[in-house]
Amino acid sequence: MTEFWDTALLGPLKTLGNMTLDLLPNVLAMAIILFAGWTIAWAIGQLIERVLRVVGADHLSNRLGISAAFARGGVKTDPSRLVGRAAYWVVLLFAVMAGLGALNLQPINQFAQSFLAYIPHLITAALIIGVGYLLSNFVSQAVLIAAVNAGLPPARMVAACSRWGVQLVAVAMAMEQLGIAQSIVVVGFGIAFGGVVLATALAFGLGARDLAREFLERQFGKGGARGKDDLTHM
Amino acid sequence: MKAAPMFLTQETDAKVHELGQTEILVGIPSFNNVDTIGHVVRAVSAGLAKYFPNRRAVLVNSDGGSTDGTPEVVSKAVVDFGAMLVSDQQSPLQKIITPYHGIPGKGSAFRTIFEIARRLNAKACAVVDSDVRSMTPEWIELLLRPILDEGYEYVSPYYLRHKYDGTITNSLVYPLTRAMYGQRIRQPIGGDFGLSGRLAEHYLDKHVWESDVARFGIDIWMTTEAIASGARVCQSFLGAKIHNPKDPTADLAVMLVEVMGAVFALMEEHQGVWLSLTGSNPVKVFGFQYEVGVEPVHVNVEPMVSSFRQGLADLEPIWRQMLTPESMAGLLPLKDCPLQEFSIPDELWAQLVYDAAVACHRRVMPREHLLKALTPLYLGRTASFVLETQGLTSAEAEGRIESLCLAFETCKPYLAKCWTAPSV
Repeated sequence: MTEFWDTALLGPLKTLGNMTLDLLPNVLAMAIILFAGWTIAWAIGQLIERVLRVVGADHLSNRLGISAAFARGGVKTDPSRLVGRAAYWVVLLFAVMAGLGALNLQPINQFAQSFLAYIPHLITAALIIGVGYLLSNFVSQAVLIAAVNAGLPPARMVAACSRWGVQLVAVAMAMEQLGIAQSIVVVGFGIAFGGVVLATALAFGLGARDLAREFLERQFGKGGARGKDDLTHM
Repeated sequence: MKAAPMFLTQETDAKVHELGQTEILVGIPSFNNVDTIGHVVRAVSAGLAKYFPNRRAVLVNSDGGSTDGTPEVVSKAVVDFGAMLVSDQQSPLQKIITPYHGIPGKGSAFRTIFEIARRLNAKACAVVDSDVRSMTPEWIELLLRPILDEGYEYVSPYYLRHKYDGTITNSLVYPLTRAMYGQRIRQPIGGDFGLSGRLAEHYLDKHVWESDVARFGIDIWMTTEAIASGARVCQSFLGAKIHNPKDPTADLAVMLVEVMGAVFALMEEHQGVWLSLTGSNPVKVFGFQYEVGVEPVHVNVEPMVSSFRQGLADLEPIWRQMLTPESMAGLLPLKDCPLQEFSIPDELWAQLVYDAAVACHRRVMPREHLLKALTPLYLGRTASFVLETQGLTSAEAEGRIESLCLAFETCKPYLAKCWTAPSV
């Protein structure tokens, strides 16, 4: 009977106890890593936020229209704080991955490795989206001014199309970088972009024939407004 | 002997060395001006022979690589001095025909001319455009005499122009330059002028020759630099300036970027000079001034007003970034008013221009966007000026420009306050 108790009940309990005792240092290590990671993440987040405030990043983002874009999207937080918080979460994420790695469990290790290998793609995609956004603002502003100066009535529409065109390219590139439905993104982008160009051409050529004729006549032909004047600017 | 600068060719350097020195140097920058440059060279030759027969003179043609035979025309151009009633010319006019190096444009041509002037130790220089069809020998006297005999260092041209000729000068460059630097130089971006050898050296020592200023804004730079450096400046009345029409496809927005870009950049550079200046002083005008009658001038203001209104509708978010709320509020009533009541008052226009200068100073948006976004505003102001002066003579219209200048001067404290205020 005693032997039964030893093998059937106490044996597994002993094994479980031993396993728990084996794992305990790892759990402790994970806790320490998580705590240290959280502290470092908080410090880095604060530091980045303050440095950005000191160098006037908020003012710069106002000038570049980034703050306005965030406000349009319902984000009222300062860009400095946003970047600080983003840095906090990125460092914390690394700490969590490192902490889980300390448990030394096979599935978690595999997941952590895959995740770390994916991080460069995530960063590249984020950069593409960020640069694409800034570029789309710049391009649409340039197009809007040029269209107004050329006297094109649908200037705002043309500028909006250029903005969305650049952003569409950026999103397609970012998704390709992330490996999300690569072939679908490329084909979809090709179809969408070609469709936009064709639709614009048809709209202007058929739907706005009179508008196009009026514009071209105004610029180059009979009744040309600026060309017929005796006024000279220089 | 000074080493030959990199931008003078060996042949030019040798020729300069051979000539030794001169009292007068007349420069003609050129690029494919075969139709007109012969006339300009003959006018220069006749002017030098008639008005400065006893002075040693050199003509420098600084050419940008013409392919139409411009340099050949310069070398072969001769004047019938008998027909000009000139008999006592001491020596034949020396000519230096040289290509210029550096970035393409008038600035590099000037740099070569000034360098030759420095090496020849010229006392007085004149520079004239190569496409002027109305140039007479008297221009040479009017551009050089104030330097040689009156002690001036910079002679700005004063052309006879009709009231709607040069509206960028009339509504922007003249009022702004006058209010900033306190000198009433009526045509600060004229292409023909005289200067002393000392001022030519001063120009050469400035680091602008590889910049956009040398490419696009050399005329306004020279005028501003002369005033800001404290040189004695005057004007010479040259009569009408008839020259080849500018490229008809040239974009107005691009013109504004070039001219106003240079003016605003100079404001940055010389803020130490203009911030404390108030009012302005008249600048002596040499030459026999005259007026012509009321010439029929056709200007259609409707497209200008509609361009302004489209700007107000479509560019409002951009204008709000560069203009103060008060300035924007002044523009809004113009959205729907009847054409005959359309008016941008002088004070509002001065304030708008100053807002744009401050916005450029603060870099609230890409510089080129800001300057191009001024186009509808400028067209609105031009339309307003035309509507106001339609029935007036050129002299009366000039009175209106004087009022505009006074408004710029009155509003200058507003500019100084905005310019020096800390950015938000």
